[in-house]
Amino acid sequence: MLKILLPSILLLPSTWLISPKYLWTTTLSYSLLIASASLMWLAAPAETGWSFLNCLMASDPISTPLLVLTCWLLPLMILASQNHLMLEPTNRQRTFISLLISLQIFLILAFSATELIMFYIMFEATLIPTLIIITRWGNQMERLNAGTYFLFYTLAGSLPLLIALLLLQNSTGTLSFFTIPYLPLTCSDPWAHKIWWTACLLAFLVKMPLYGAHLWLPKAHVEAPIAGSMVLAAVLLKLGGYGMMRILIILDPISKELSYPFIILALWGVIMTGSICLRQTDLKALIAYSSVSHMGLVAAAILIQTPWAFTGALILMIAHGLTSSALFCLANTNYERTHSRTMLLARGLQTLLPLTAVWWFIATLANLALPPLPNLMGELMIITSLFKWSMWTLILTGLGTLITAGYSLYMFLTTQHGPIPNHLISINPPHSREHLLLTLHLLPLLLLILKPELLWGWSA
Amino acid sequence: MAPPIYSALIISLGLGTTMTFASTHWYLAWMGIEINTLAIIPLMSQNHIPRATEATTKYFFAQATASATLLFASISNAFLTGEWDILQTPNTLTYSLITLALAMKIGLAPLHSWMPEVMQGLSLLTGLILSTWQKLAPLYLIYQIQPTNSNIFIVLGLLSIIVGGWGGFNQVQLRKILAYSSIAHLGWMILILSFSPPLALLTILIYLLMTFSLFSSFMLTRATHINSLATTWAKIPILTISTPLILLSLGGLPPLTGFMPKWLILQELTKQDLAPIATLAALSSLFSLYFYLRLSYAMTLTMPPNNPAGTLPWRLNPRHNTTLMSLATTSTICLLPVTPAIMAMLPL
Repeated sequence: MLKILLPSILLLPSTWLISPKYLWTTTLSYSLLIASASLMWLAAPAETGWSFLNCLMASDPISTPLLVLTCWLLPLMILASQNHLMLEPTNRQRTFISLLISLQIFLILAFSATELIMFYIMFEATLIPTLIIITRWGNQMERLNAGTYFLFYTLAGSLPLLIALLLLQNSTGTLSFFTIPYLPLTCSDPWAHKIWWTACLLAFLVKMPLYGAHLWLPKAHVEAPIAGSMVLAAVLLKLGGYGMMRILIILDPISKELSYPFIILALWGVIMTGSICLRQTDLKALIAYSSVSHMGLVAAAILIQTPWAFTGALILMIAHGLTSSALFCLANTNYERTHSRTMLLARGLQTLLPLTAVWWFIATLANLALPPLPNLMGELMIITSLFKWSMWTLILTGLGTLITAGYSLYMFLTTQHGPIPNHLISINPPHSREHLLLTLHLLPLLLLILKPELLWGWSA
Repeated sequence: MAPPIYSALIISLGLGTTMTFASTHWYLAWMGIEINTLAIIPLMSQNHIPRATEATTKYFFAQATASATLLFASISNAFLTGEWDILQTPNTLTYSLITLALAMKIGLAPLHSWMPEVMQGLSLLTGLILSTWQKLAPLYLIYQIQPTNSNIFIVLGLLSIIVGGWGGFNQVQLRKILAYSSIAHLGWMILILSFSPPLALLTILIYLLMTFSLFSSFMLTRATHINSLATTWAKIPILTISTPLILLSLGGLPPLTGFMPKWLILQELTKQDLAPIATLAALSSLFSLYFYLRLSYAMTLTMPPNNPAGTLPWRLNPRHNTTLMSLATTSTICLLPVTPAIMAMLPL
């Protein structure tokens, strides 16, 4: 575990000490090296539970894919930010890269934490670098509002979580993941038990986000620079899912009844946000709402707590992370050329940027869960397990799949097909860097078709 | 101000607090507090501008009222129980009166109205002394009377956290914001005082550290208004990184030091079966975080090449001695992992 964490921490001094000429190449290559080394976590046997243990950190089949995704994302973020940061003074570039690296450190600590308070502190710690990335390097005036919404929605959910964890520690004496599943949980007052249950989950539901508490996400995703959008969509939302998976084990047995409203809200959110996507004019907002839609499915799956549901949720989280991040990178290629997120202003790109059209196509197909991509595997397992839980959910999930296909195709057709706008006089061809970026997003997704056992969590 | 007078006043400030610390008799404690008040009055009005005189007068009235109430309460206590010893103050009506008098001395809600007005009229250095040193003697007295009935402390604490947060919402003057932040943090401190006095000690120490760092940052750029924060990037660029972190630490965000007192206080409150109060206190501290965040936006997050928010000021070249400030700032940001060591040092 420390083999990955310590090099990540030491990336911080390297960022500040390297000469400006080699800043981006060095940080990129070292973070890529760390990402390749992090693949060792996947080689752990899946049946024995925890591996790579020390007192404070461990990895198990649920956290391993998320850890690898986190480590994989840092070189991608550095690659994506290179262009828009080139004009800034060197110290600002170094600060930005330091923020990305510190985010990675906090995320590694969060996903590998073995104690709930450590997880909580690292969960909250990821807020500060993300806030700074969104509000300092975002491009529009609304980014200040976005940062405020992001911070306060998350904190309003997570402060009750802190108190719920402290209450849990009072009654069980420990908050370690190793012992908590085996401890009996008694709560005398049923009303207090229900409120404690809600307090435990609220933070993660806001983070996922659940449909009713999702307002921060379109703002934050849209206003963030590309690295911010990538890390938000790919990993930070999954922190909510991961936290929920960890804590639901402790929250039985009243979860059977209490999770009903949240499951229904999540599934309804799939439909609603999907429908909003069909009417979007802002490309990044469309991808943001599609994130809410996919994570609604994940939230519903995690709340029903069956093995297939957990597996499906985990696969969909990883697949959605890669897909959503790829879509944001593609939206960024549009933004860097036209400085506008409006879809209508950048139409007909298949004629203008044909090589990028390939990536658009693959990413769109991934978004709408085309077989044999892991997106489909995840969604199918979730839909199946929800159907087993209650057959009426099939209406909502089936309709959701249909609407997802609808807006994904809408996004593809609007940006790629259609007439070329008259005002696009000259548009730069795609850089090799952008092709590399999208390859590094979509190649793992395609390779995961061949070995999805890596993502199955405990069911392997 | 002439150096002999200045040093006499500073020594009196020290003498007053020390007398209060060293006393077991209410009279002597009261005398120490009075010496403190009288010593700081000339320091507050030393630049002779009308606003400073106004602030000094308001401070004098508030502190005189509180001291008179304190004297009255301690004399009544001696009359009713025959006891002058501070440690032996029984839990009666006079005990509540003493608590309220001391609460007014330090500016806890609902007796906080003088704080923002007074702080606004002072220079930043005097404001720092007011926020940090002047709180020590009354807090020590509250610590000494060994609170057992927690009701009044919970009410004072919760009200202060809420008022400290809500009151700062509409402020643009930095000293008023610092006053409301002081009210909120003292609210946290008084909340835990009846349950775990060592935790209250920890809270006040961490608060002193964080406030000192923040005041020092503002003193370096002589910033007194939110708009004057907007040009910090041009004067001392490193402040644009350290001050937002200090502000977020004041707001209690992990993994910064300011999270430590909040975490430990919430833990203690939940152990005492007061989880709803803990939740209310935690959520009320989000109010203060909002205006700390607004200050960080003004200072750092709207830096060029985005549009500057203020007009460019004269850039004088002050002599900085930042030794103590850098130590305080580093501690404000990095001290959370050392929590077990700090807790071991306190008399828990």
